[in-house]
This record gives sequence, structure tokens and C-alpha cells, in this order.
Amino acid sequence: MTTLEAGTIVGAGLDRVDAPLKVTGAAQYPNDFSFPGMAHAALVGSTIAAGRMRGIDVTDALAAPGVLTVITHLTAPKLERGPMTLLGGSPPAPLQDDRVLHYGQHIAIVVAESSEQARHAARLVRVEYEATEAVLDVDDPRAEIVENPWGLDTERGDVNAGFAQSDVVVEGTYTTPDNTNNPLGLMTTIASWHGDALTVHDSTQWPHNVRTSLATIFKVPESGIRVLAPFVGGGFGAGLRVWSHVILTVLAAREVKRPVKLVLTRPEMFTSVGHRPNSVQQIKIGSTRDGDLVAIEHHGISSVAMEDDDYEPVSVGSAVSYACPNVLTVDRQARLNIPCPGSMRAPAEGQGSFALESAIDEVAYAVGMDPLEIRLRNYAEENPVLGLPWSSKALRECYLEGAERFGWSRRTPEPGSMRDGRWLVGYGLAGVSYPFYQVPCQARASVRRDGSAYVRSAATDIGTGTYTVMTQLAAELLGLDVTQVRFDLGDSDMPYSPQAGGSGLTGALANAVHAACRRLVQEFLDVVRDDTESPLRAAALDDVAVTDGRIHRITDPEQGESYVDILARHGLEELSADGRSTPPRSEELGMAIAGAFGAKFVEVRIDPDLGLLRVARVVSAIDGGRILNEKTATSQIVGGTVGGISQAMFEETATDQGTGRIANATFGDYLMPVNADVPDMDTLFVGGPDRATAVGTKGVGEIGLVGLAAAIGNAVFHATGRRIRSLPITIDQLML
Amino acid sequence: MHPFEYARATDADQAVAVVSADPHASFLAGGTTQLDLMKDGVLHPERLIDITRLPLGGITHTDSAIQVGALTTMEELAADPVVRERLPFVREALLFGASTQLRNMATIGGNLLQRARCRYFRDPTVGACNKRNPGSGCAAITGIQRMHAILGTSDHCIALHASDVAVPLAALDAIVHIQGPDGARPIPLTQFYLPPGDTPHIENVLRHGELITAVEIPLLGEGTRSHYLKVRDRVSYEFALTSAGVALAIEDGLIQEARVALGGVGTIPWRAWGAEDVLEGARAGADVFRTAAEAALDGARPLPGTAFKVELAKRTLVRTLETVAGALS
Repeated sequence: MTTLEAGTIVGAGLDRVDAPLKVTGAAQYPNDFSFPGMAHAALVGSTIAAGRMRGIDVTDALAAPGVLTVITHLTAPKLERGPMTLLGGSPPAPLQDDRVLHYGQHIAIVVAESSEQARHAARLVRVEYEATEAVLDVDDPRAEIVENPWGLDTERGDVNAGFAQSDVVVEGTYTTPDNTNNPLGLMTTIASWHGDALTVHDSTQWPHNVRTSLATIFKVPESGIRVLAPFVGGGFGAGLRVWSHVILTVLAAREVKRPVKLVLTRPEMFTSVGHRPNSVQQIKIGSTRDGDLVAIEHHGISSVAMEDDDYEPVSVGSAVSYACPNVLTVDRQARLNIPCPGSMRAPAEGQGSFALESAIDEVAYAVGMDPLEIRLRNYAEENPVLGLPWSSKALRECYLEGAERFGWSRRTPEPGSMRDGRWLVGYGLAGVSYPFYQVPCQARASVRRDGSAYVRSAATDIGTGTYTVMTQLAAELLGLDVTQVRFDLGDSDMPYSPQAGGSGLTGALANAVHAACRRLVQEFLDVVRDDTESPLRAAALDDVAVTDGRIHRITDPEQGESYVDILARHGLEELSADGRSTPPRSEELGMAIAGAFGAKFVEVRIDPDLGLLRVARVVSAIDGGRILNEKTATSQIVGGTVGGISQAMFEETATDQGTGRIANATFGDYLMPVNADVPDMDTLFVGGPDRATAVGTKGVGEIGLVGLAAAIGNAVFHATGRRIRSLPITIDQLML
Repeated sequence: MHPFEYARATDADQAVAVVSADPHASFLAGGTTQLDLMKDGVLHPERLIDITRLPLGGITHTDSAIQVGALTTMEELAADPVVRERLPFVREALLFGASTQLRNMATIGGNLLQRARCRYFRDPTVGACNKRNPGSGCAAITGIQRMHAILGTSDHCIALHASDVAVPLAALDAIVHIQGPDGARPIPLTQFYLPPGDTPHIENVLRHGELITAVEIPLLGEGTRSHYLKVRDRVSYEFALTSAGVALAIEDGLIQEARVALGGVGTIPWRAWGAEDVLEGARAGADVFRTAAEAALDGARPLPGTAFKVELAKRTLVRTLETVAGALS
């Protein structure tokens, strides 16, 4: 492995290369596309949560102006369920029988000449239901329980013996509600068939998964399917799977033999594209009176849909976070009549860290120790599950530099001891990690006769900065200015890329781009290997560098020539090379491959009469490995922090217990922070490139969110002496 | 959206005549409530009469009141110099409402007529809503209650009246000017709204086809101070959990005049007459403020999900009284 040399382009805070397109409105998101003859679709959702449809009457809908067809379970063809993917099974195929498993389940799709006509006709579909009692609560004894769903439960030592030896034991039940991803861009699919060939524009975080899934579901060759997603209006996990609405749009286009467009409504976003499932967590921590952790026991239960999978091991993070001899983590899921949950930014860690980091704080108060000190005292110098050294871990620096930046030393320990006029002031912190994740990825790089480069992969940029950081990386590796490099993505005809998810895309793609660019330089060297006119003849890849589009020997920079000269002399229009990345493996490397770490410091203000909570400042100190672009990486942390504040104080998808209907499925009712709720946010990056991969990134998409809820809850405790164990933290919990 | 006809009114008499004669016709002003409800399938008028080009805008001033044309936008009213000087709590209530974009579209007449934010009312897939479908029941009473009313409720409806500006306007005894097929009539705002009782679908005294043409707002006396406090889960762009609009005239520590209304708690903008009785003639101070707050919430009927709002509303009113009195002392 040749690691990336420190350069001048990578790391710099380059403005987004796609910014001009975005600010001028020229970037085309899926719902900006339109095709001649395109028809429009609208969905009909079930209005019960469990039972069956006795009948469905589409007479009025079919007779409505402009309607082309209405497809229901009575008329839909048999569809295969999508394939097993990296993220688990595919969601159930729609319209396959008369059963209803959740409120808002898609039970018909209406296609019309205009979207208004389709939506109007969708309201005219009449359904006769035979409802049964819905199972909606994880505590419902009727709920089927899935034990150890992912085989990830952990046990080391003996927690009961550990608690018996502990001087102090704290225990609590923590609950987190359903949250809904809600990217601003309403999820859109446009499908267009030409025989067995299919073109799809989709709000996806993973074009290849859409291609593979649709080929399976519709039994057509993958080679005929092209999925395009050059711009996506946010994802947060909602675009990771091939949801029912995508399949229905493709089906509708085949039925009406025209391109069909479907844009989900905001209320449909709450039932159609996944959500963070609620959790109930019991956590118990034992400690010596000196603050040495002796035992941690963490049980989590999450909700899951009746016939779907979701990866949500909320407790497992507690196994790797601290050096503690006795640890037990247990996860379960309860099957409910709810829309399918799915990954939402920082799945599992987002919920689990609230319990763990709140409970650690409680231990600190119980033993009379600074919450920062107890975390340093129990610092996991090696991965406690694998027993291997970390590939990199700068969490200690996160704590120390973050505390310095925040002014943690100004904290007075006693709860309620800090005030600013009427406002109670509280300081809180959390120390967190987000696990390493990487899967294979491919990219292709070309240099053309004018010396410009084109690099591509079927990845997506969901607002994270993929276009920009890959442009920088390719420019660095090919020795070009960023203006000479075009990086393109979002097209399944490009080399394979995994999903933008799991904080894993940048690492997978960067290492693929690294490999492609290195192999491309090798291609040039191969061309001139026997070229007597070339000062580079017989040069080996490790002997050369590229500067300003000119390959030269490292030992003698005078000896070299440009891409342009080589291509021209050999009569070549361009040279291309493919690169692949494969994930490093802890066992092979003999080290525990580390994801990102972070320490979050929060100051809150509380008006105890009115229960008002304001986050006054946040300092996030992050070990994200190599930072490819300080500006876009900071934006990731800022965005994650806002998401964390949102999880802590605002977001709660409210389900009517009687009916299973989501009662706040609009932006007026489902709260998230407005600008005035978002304080000064200070982000600092510590640590350096991780040694497990060539490029050394760790992924910063999710670490920004993890632990904010605990840090805010801990600050609330410091301000008030009140321990909040249920999210979101609202006025009624804080009126003292 | 249900198909509808659209026509632009050219004069108010004609608009009133057209809508009065057609039970399926409706006026359209700023549209910030009406269009949402049409898209959501709650309202489905066959015909919309757009009144936005009628000459019903503008603010005129006298020594004791301002006359606000019904089509005056929330932003225009908030920017009026007399409102800024003499009706600060009206301005505060306006600017704490909605967002700038909405306030630039929403009219004062429309604000007073805004419909309930109740998610059981606004979702036609919910069968039980007496306001939308008289006699069908109320799903909100057994549903998620946090944003619902605790004052003026009935067993048939607990929907909140969510207007901010209507709170100080109720406190000020503003007058609504109405034009109907039989001529014009004035109605005090405190008599304009109807609590739900057993007819939650009838929200005010307007008859079908009657049009609000103006709102007359009495000015506060010189030396009277006012404040509007809005308490909500996020800092802006949200309806109130609780709010209070207060105007006090205090001389030598004695409260000469008190005007008090509450938002976020009532099925109608809630004039707190009982609180005013406690305050008027009393010496301003913590005890009397608390007593006034107790009186203001007299008769509250909280449900489990709104139990906290009783105490929160009291504290909100106490804080507002303290703020106004503090500004005077």
C-alpha cells in the first residue's frame, strides 16, 4: 500500500465544485427532470394499520379527468421481492396481496396526465377494510420479539460479579422516539421503459442497488437498466433502499408505456422511506469509588416492521467505548404494525450513545468526579472487544483540545451552581465514536489529449461534498489543478460504487480513486516503457511524481514529460485506468480498524420557570482521520450537530396509539431546529491519517450527530440537577 | 386538489353577492390557510372568489384607533409606525407569528379566520372530527394532545385557535367590520368567535358570504405599557404552547387598567376577564400577578397531554405581567 503523501490540494478548504450549479439552480435534482409524454403518478395509502382489504373500488378514480390507470393488488402482476443487499433484505414488494401491515401502506398507484389529476383521483379510490387490532408499542405483549437480530450481542467478564464488586451502581431506563429522516428534497422517481430497457431517475444514495433490485423485481437484464442520480436533495439514510414507491413508479411506467414521474408528498415521506425506530434501553453501570468502571450492562429494544429488516444494534457501542472488564450488551427488536424503519443518520449509535453517555455522566456525579476525568480514566487504549490496538485513536486529544477550546475548566461541579441572571447555566459533554465501515468500490480515471482528467464512479453526493473531495484527491494524485479535473458520479453506467452511507463512502471511493489514479500514471509509464524519446522510459511508478500535468523522476525532476506530450507522440486520444478498493480487515492487519471519534462539549441555558432550554454553544472535537477538505468536513460536523440538537430537543414522530396513524407528518407539526435554535458551533479536527488505508480517512458523515443528545442532557443535569432520560427534552420536562 | 373555478372579484358588493348565493363558493385572500386545506383535501370549494385586488388594504389613523383594511398583510401592520409606538404588543404578536414569507402573504382578515391546526381536523383520513364532519366525534380528545386547548373546550372539540395577533386584539376590544348581502355591521372581536360547544364546525358569527372588510383597533393610552410573550418548543416558526398579551396602566404602583388575553390555551382567543378583575385597582406585585394567573386559568379542562399547560400558562402570564410592570417601574 502506498499511502497518500501530504499535498497542497487535499485538505484545503476548497469551495464546493458544484456550488455554482447549485446556487444558479442549474443542478438537476430528480424532480427537475421531465420527458415528452411523461405521465404523473400519485399513491393511495391505507387508512388502517392492520387487517385486510375486503374490496377496493377504483371506478370513480378511473373516471376522473386525465386518469390513465389505477393499479391495485387486484391488478398488479406478481413481483419478486428485491434481493439481499449489503444492508440486509429489501423492503417487501408492494401490491402483492390484500393484507395491510401499517398505516399509510401503498395500496394503489394512480397515473394521470398531470400530478394534480393523479392526486385528485387518488382521493377517489374507495377501500373497504376488515381491520384487526394493530400492535404498535414495543411493550405490547403480543409483539413478536426478535432476539439478537444481527448476532452482535457481546459479553465479556461477568457483569453480575462486577456489580457485586462495585462501590456505586447507577441504573436507568432511557427512551428515544421515532424520528423521520426528512431530507428537504421530496423523494422522486421517474421511470421510462424502452422494451426491456429501463431508465430511472431516482432520489437514491445508491444507484447500483436500484439497478440490481429493479432487475430482480422486474426480471430484466441489469445491463439494460440505467439509474441516474447526479444530484439528490439530501438523504440521511432515506435513499439507501429501493422502496415501494420506486417499484410502483417503474411498474406504472410499464403499464402505461410512457415515462412516469412520482414525487412523494411530505406526509408520505413519513411512511414510505424509513425512519429511525424508537428504542427503550436499560443501562446499568458499576464503578469503584475512584471512578474505575467495573461493569456495564446495556439492553436495547427497538421497533421493526412486521415483514422487514432494519440494522439498529443500539447497545453494541457500549462494548467498545470504555476499558471495562465486565460488559454485556443485548439487543432485541419488537415487530409492530409500523412503516418500515431504516437507517437514519447515525443509526444505532444515535440512540445508544444517549443512554451510555448519560449514564457515564451519572456515575461521575455519583463518585464526585469531573465528567471529563472519568472518561479519561476509563479510556480504551485498545479495542476491548477485539483485544487489538486501534489503527488510530485520538479521542484523548479530542477530550483535551475540546475542553481547552470550550473552557471546560470554568465549570463549577455542583448542579445548579452556574447562573446568568434568570438563566441557569449548564455544561455537559459526551465522548463518542462511530464504527469503521467500508465496502468494495471502483472508479475509473482518464487523462485526455488536452491534459485534462475525467474521473468517475457511480457514487452519489447527497450534499456531503463527494464531488469536491474526489476532485481534489484526483487532482492531487494526477498532479493537476482542480480546474483540470472533472469528477462525475450518480450514474449506474459508471464503475460500481457502494451507497453513500455508514460514513463509508469517502473511504471506499477515495481509495478506489487513489488506485485508479496510480494505475493511470502506470499506464502512461507503460506507454513510454520502450520509448527511446521519453525521459521516462523504463521508469517505475514509485520512481516518479506528477507536477503540473508532467510526470517526472523524483530524484531528477528535470527528467520528465507531460501527459499531453506522451499522448500526442503516441497518437492517443486518452488513457484510462480502473481502480478498486477493498476494505482493510482488522484480523489481517493485526489492529482494530477505527472509525471516527469525537468529544462534544455543550453549554445550555434554562429558564426554570418557563422550562425554556437553549443550547448556547457547542464545541465538537473530532478525530476523522485524514480530512480531505476542511470546509466540507466542517459542514458535515455542523450538519450532524444540528441533527443532534434536533434529536435532543425537537424530533418526535408521533403515532396515534389507537390507529397507527402518524399524527404530525408535516413540517408545521414535526419540529426540527430553526436557525434561531442553532448556536455558535465550533469544530476542530484532531489526529491524523488512519494507517489502515492508503488515503487514511475515517468518514465524518455521522460522528457529528452522535452524543449531542447525551451532552445536552448532561448539561441540563448540570444546570438543574434533573436527569432527563427521555427524548426529546421539552418544556414540560424542564419546568422546575 | 379537488377541481374548482377561480374568479377575481372587482368590487366587494359583487364578491359578497356571488359567494352568498353559492354555498360551494369561498373567498380567497392570502391563501396561507385556504390553499393548504384545499391541498390536504379538507376544504373543497367549487368556486374561489379572489378578493386580493379589492381596495380593502391600508391603515388609517385617528387619535384613538387605527382602522386596518382586511387585506393589510401581517408584515404591513407590524411595520406601521403607530402600531410600533402605541400598540407594541400587537407588533410583537405579529412578528412572533409564522415566518416572513407567510406574513408577507397572510392578511389580517385571513389571520382572524385561520382554521385550527389540529392534525385530526387537517387529515381527512381521520374519520372522527366534529369540526370537519359534524357528529362524527373527536379523535383529538383521545389522540396526541400537546398542541390542543384547555380553555373553552367541549366534549366535542378541543382544537386551539392558534392566532397570535388575535390575542392582543381580543385584549384591546378590537372591532371587526363585516359586509354582508344586507349591508355592513361591526362586531367586537370578543363576540366574534364561538367556542365549540356541540357545534365545533361553527367557529364565528360570520354568515356564509359575509366578508371582513376592516379591523378597528383602539390605541393604548399614553403611559400604558404592553407586552406579548410566546412560549414554544422552538425559538421561531411555531405555534404557541402558551402565550399572553398584556397591557397595563399603573399609577403610583396601583393598576388603573389591565387588559389581558391568552393564546395557546383557548379554543378562541382567550380574554382573561377574571385576571383583569383581580388586577384592576390592585397594587402591582408578585402575589397579585399569581392570583390573576390563577383566575385566568379558572375553568381549564386539561387532558393528560395538556396537563402541563395549565401551570405553564399561569407562569407565562405572570412573567408577562412582571415584564410590563417592570417596564413601568
